[in-house]
Amino acid sequence: MNSNGTPKQKFIFTDSGRMEKILSQYPDKRSATLPLLHLAQTQEGFITGAIIDAVAQYTEIHPAEVMDCVSFYTMFFRRPLGTNKLQVCQTLSCSLNGADDFVDHITQKYGTKPGETTSDGKFTLLKVECLGSCGTAPVIQINNDYHEGLSINELDKLLDSIP
Amino acid sequence: MPLLKIDDKEIQVESGTTILETAIASGIEIPYYCYHPALEVVGSCRMCLVQVEGMSKLQVSCNTFIGEVHPDRKVNGKYDMVVYTQNELVVKERKNILEFLLLNHPLDCPVCDQAGECYLQDYSFKFGNAHSRFEEEKRVRPNEYLGSQIVINHNRCILCSRCVRFTQEISGTSELFVEARGYNSKIAALEDKPLDNLLAGNVADICPVGALLSTDYIHKNRIWNLEQKPSICQDCSVGCNVDVFSQQDQIFRLTARENQDVNGYFMCDIGRYGFHRFEKIERISHPMVRNGKSFNVLDWDEAIKKTADLIEKSKEKTAGIVSPFHTNESNYLLGLLMKETLGYLPPITGEEITFPTKFRISADRSPNLRGVNDICGDLVKDFTSIIKTRDIRGLYILDDGVDRKLDDSWKDILAKMDFVIVQSYAMTELAKSAHIVLPGLAPFEREGTITNDKGRIQWLRPSLATKGDSKPDWEILMLVRNALHKESEYFADLGEVIKKMGDQFPNYSGISLFKIGTQGMALT
Amino acid sequence: MSDFEPVLTEHIHQKDCHTLSFYKSVGGYTALEKVLKMNPAEVTQEVKDSNLRGRGGAGFPAGIKWGFIPKDTDKPKYLINNADESEPGTFKDRLLMNKVPHQMLEGMIIAAYAIGCQTSFIYIRGEFYKEFKMLEMAVDEAYESNLLGQNILGSNYNLDVVIHRGAGAYICGEETGLIESLEGKRGWPRIKPPFPAIEGYLQSPTIVNNVETLSCIPHIITRGASWFKSIGPEKGPGPRLFCISGRVNNPGVFEEPMGIALKDLIFERAGGIPDGKKLKAVFPGGSSSAILTAEEALDVNMDFDELVEKKTMLGSAGVIVMDETVDMVQACLNIARFYAHESCGQCTPCREGTGWLVKMLTRLVNGGGTPKDIDMIFEITDNIGGLIDFSKGSFGKTICPFGEAVAWPVRSFVEKFKDEFLAYLPKEKVVA
Repeated sequence: MNSNGTPKQKFIFTDSGRMEKILSQYPDKRSATLPLLHLAQTQEGFITGAIIDAVAQYTEIHPAEVMDCVSFYTMFFRRPLGTNKLQVCQTLSCSLNGADDFVDHITQKYGTKPGETTSDGKFTLLKVECLGSCGTAPVIQINNDYHEGLSINELDKLLDSIP
Repeated sequence: MPLLKIDDKEIQVESGTTILETAIASGIEIPYYCYHPALEVVGSCRMCLVQVEGMSKLQVSCNTFIGEVHPDRKVNGKYDMVVYTQNELVVKERKNILEFLLLNHPLDCPVCDQAGECYLQDYSFKFGNAHSRFEEEKRVRPNEYLGSQIVINHNRCILCSRCVRFTQEISGTSELFVEARGYNSKIAALEDKPLDNLLAGNVADICPVGALLSTDYIHKNRIWNLEQKPSICQDCSVGCNVDVFSQQDQIFRLTARENQDVNGYFMCDIGRYGFHRFEKIERISHPMVRNGKSFNVLDWDEAIKKTADLIEKSKEKTAGIVSPFHTNESNYLLGLLMKETLGYLPPITGEEITFPTKFRISADRSPNLRGVNDICGDLVKDFTSIIKTRDIRGLYILDDGVDRKLDDSWKDILAKMDFVIVQSYAMTELAKSAHIVLPGLAPFEREGTITNDKGRIQWLRPSLATKGDSKPDWEILMLVRNALHKESEYFADLGEVIKKMGDQFPNYSGISLFKIGTQGMALT
Repeated sequence: MSDFEPVLTEHIHQKDCHTLSFYKSVGGYTALEKVLKMNPAEVTQEVKDSNLRGRGGAGFPAGIKWGFIPKDTDKPKYLINNADESEPGTFKDRLLMNKVPHQMLEGMIIAAYAIGCQTSFIYIRGEFYKEFKMLEMAVDEAYESNLLGQNILGSNYNLDVVIHRGAGAYICGEETGLIESLEGKRGWPRIKPPFPAIEGYLQSPTIVNNVETLSCIPHIITRGASWFKSIGPEKGPGPRLFCISGRVNNPGVFEEPMGIALKDLIFERAGGIPDGKKLKAVFPGGSSSAILTAEEALDVNMDFDELVEKKTMLGSAGVIVMDETVDMVQACLNIARFYAHESCGQCTPCREGTGWLVKMLTRLVNGGGTPKDIDMIFEITDNIGGLIDFSKGSFGKTICPFGEAVAWPVRSFVEKFKDEFLAYLPKEKVVA
C-alpha cells in the first residue's frame, strides 16, 4: 500500500526475456539487483515503489535492501525526470574547459536550474560528477550518449535538433 | 598461545582473537561504536584505532587478529604483538574521530534520553575536546518514526550501522537501511515496511548514542533517577535475562541483559513492553472472604485459619492447582500441601518464533512450565473425570494472573466446588469465583527460581516492593501448611525451601540462589 | 625513448580495429592459444616475472596478486575486470574498450585461466553505455568463435564473461566496493582482512584487475616477460597509457613507456598550454594525487617510485594540467566537492570530513573566510587522510584509501598555493 492507502500497481518487466537472462547470469540472485534496476528504469523512467518491490522479489532480498542500493547510486532516479536528461559534467577538467558555461547556457535557454525539468517535460538539467571523458572536455551526456568537446554553439544546435 | 603486550600488560591470548576482544576481556578500555559482539565487524567508526608495533598505519582493534608469529619475528624476542592503546598518536586520533562525530550533533544532552548511558557523552568526557571547531551550519533533520515503537533522532546518529546490521543479521527482517551516501547518509526504513518486528526494541538498546529511541520510554524519565535491577523475563519459557529500570513503584523500561546461555544480548518486544499490563489492574492487597456477592477484608491470621479449616474439613477432597507462572518454590509448597491431587490450568500459548541467529520466542508463554513438571510429580491431566472419581469438593488455586482467560470447562468445574481458595495479585475471573482470596505478589514483585524450557534454573528477582498486606506466595502456602500440620517445617527464607526441594528432587539438589547468580545454572 | 612503439594502442587508428576479425588479423588471440597449452602456474609465473604493476591506481604487482589465490579450495574462483574508470583525469580504459575490446578480453581469458576461474565479470561504470554495448558485441563475437564458453578452442577450459553495469559511484572503482556492488549492495568497501583473493565475490577467491592491466597480458605472453621488463623502469615497467586533460592544446591518451618525463607529456605529446599561458600546477596521477607545482612538474618522471618521493603518486596516470589562469581555490573546491559527493559515508572521518571541507571552502570562496580556516583545512585533511608522508605512518585512517584520496590533493592545494587562499579572506580580517 502507498502512504495514501491505495494499493500499489504491480510492476511487470515488459522485456521478460532480458530479465530472465539477467537472473541466469549470476551465481546468486542478489547480484542481479543493479542490472534489474537499470532494466526497470529504462522501462519506467525512474524507480518507483513498485519497481523496488518487484526487484526485491526477483532477487529474494528485502525491499529496504533494494532501496538502500537505489539511494546509493546516482544513476537511479526516484522521481520522474524529463524525456531528455542533460547531464553536464562539472568536475575539474570539464570545469576548466567551460562546463559552467554549459550549465548557465541551458539554464538561460530553458529557464531550468540544475535539478529542474522544463515545463513541457522535455529536458531535465543535471550537474553530474566526472564522466570519465576528461580529454574531450567539456562533456555533456544526454540520456545514454556522450557529446564531447562541444562549443556553446554546437551545444545549442544539438539541443535544438532533439525532437 | 600468542603473547600480547598491550600497553604495559602482558596477556596470553587465544590465537585468532582480536585486540578489541582481548582488551574488553581484560578490562582495558578501548573506545568503540560500530563494534558489537553479536554483529559482524565492519570497522567503520574508526574509534577503536590503536597502534601496533611494526605496522605503518593505525589499526582498528576490532579487526586486528592476534596470532602466533615466527620466533624470528617476535617483538623483543618475546611478544607476538605489541599494542599501544594510550600513546600520543592513538589519543590524538580518538580526539579527531570524536570531533568528526560531534560536528553535526545538536549537543542536546539535557533533553536526551540517552544522557547518562551515552557512549558519545562518555568518550567525549574521557577523550574529546571541550570546544567544537566547526563553524558551519549544522546538518539538521527532523525526527522520524522507523516503526510504531522506534523513533530516530537523525541529528544524534553517528551512523555506526549497528541497527541496520541488527535487522539484517539478528532479526533477519532487514527493514532498516542506510539511505543515500557520504555526508547525506541516514538511517531509514521504507514507509510501507516499517521496523515492526518482534525484536525491534533491541535497536534502541544497541544504539550507542541517543539516536534510536523507544517511544515507550521517550522523555519519561532520566536514567540516573532509575534503579536498575537484574531479573528474568516472565513472558515465555525461554527466560530472557533482563534489567528492570524502576523508580519508586513504577517500572519505566526493560532492557536485555547479556546471557550467552539463554538470550545472548537481546530480548523480544513481548517481554520488553509486557510490564505495562500489570500497571492498571485491580490489585488485591488484603486477604478477603466471600460475603454473598462481595468480599470482606480479613487479617492474615483469620485468613490462614479459615483457609486451613476449609481444607481440613474436606481433607483429600481438596485439590491444588499449580501454575507455570509461579516460582518453583510456590508450586513446590502447594504440592506439599495437596499431596493427593494436583492439577493445572491449560497452558497459555502463542506462536513459536525462531529468528535466523536462533533467538527464540517460545510458543509456551509461561515462564516456568518445565519447573512445574520437574517438581510437582504427576499432574492430573483430565481434571473433569478426577473430580468425579475422587469426589473433589474444593480447590486451592495458584492463580496465573491477568493473562488467564477462563474457558467454559473450568467455569463448570469451579461452579461445582463447595469452596475455592485463590491465591492471586489481581481481581481476576478466578479470584472473583473464590470463597477466600489470598493476596500474593505480582510478577515483578516475586522472588524465587524458575526453570526455562532448556532446563536452566534462573533467579527471578523482585523489581518492585510488595503492595499492601500481600505476602510472597511461597510464604502464604507455608503458613497454611503450618496451620494444617503443626509439625510441618517453618521456612525462614527461600533458601530453606530450595534446600528442601532439592532433598526431594535430585536434579534440584545443591542449588542455592547464590550459585544460580545472575547467569543461572543448567540442571543436571 | 623515441624508439618506443605503442603496444596497447598500436592499432587504434585503423578501421574496424574493434572487431574480432581485425584483432585476429594482427595476431590477436595467439597468446590465448599459447596459454591454453601451458600450465596455469606457468602463466602466473610469466606475469610475475614481467613486473607488471596494476594500472588502476594502486600499482600492485598483478602476478603476485594472482598468486594469492588459494590452491586448496573447492570454492569457485572469480576474475573481475575493473572497468569502472572513475578517477577524474582518467579516460584510458574507455579508449581501450572502444577501440580494442578483444585485447582486454584476451587478457581476461588468460588471467581467468591462470587463476582457475570459470565465471568472470566486467564491471563497467554505468555512464559508459556506448562502451557497454561495444563490450557486449565483443563478448558475443568471442562466444561465437569459441573463445568463450565451453571447451575453449578445444582445450577443455570453460569460461563465461558477464558484463555488469555500475550505476554511478566513484567508490566502486575500489576493489572491495566493486565486489559489494556486484553482489547487489551499496558499494561500501570492505574491511581487510580478509582480502578478495581469499574471500571476495560471494565469499570466494576473487581477483580484480584493471582494463589496462589485463590488456597488457596478451603482449607479455606473446613477447615474453623480459621484453616487457625492458620497457621503462625495471620496478614498474611496461607501456602505460597517460591521460592528459585540463589546459593543454592537445588533450588525450598517450601510450608511452613508464618513466617518461612529465614535461614531455605536457609540452610534446599534449602540445603545451593554449594561448602561451604559463604552467601553474599538475595532478600527475588522477585527482587523488597531490598536485605538483610547475617547478616540480617540470622535473619529474612518471614513475611509481619517483612520484612517491615527491609526496604524490602515479595513481591512474591521469594528468590534469592547470595554467596560470586557473583559480586554485576554486579548483580545490571543485575537487573537494567531487570527493564529498563520492564519499560512501561508511567511515567517520571521510563522511564528516568531506562535508566539512566543502562547507568551509564554500564559505571561503563566498568571502566569509577567516585566517584560521587555512590552518583548519590542514588539520581536517590530516584527520581524514593523514599527512602526505609515507614514513610517518599517520595515514590509513579509513577502511579504503578514499580518505587519502581527498585529503592529499586538497591539502596540497593549500600547502602549495596558500597565498591564493589568503587572498580570498576579507581584507579587514587579514589585517586583524
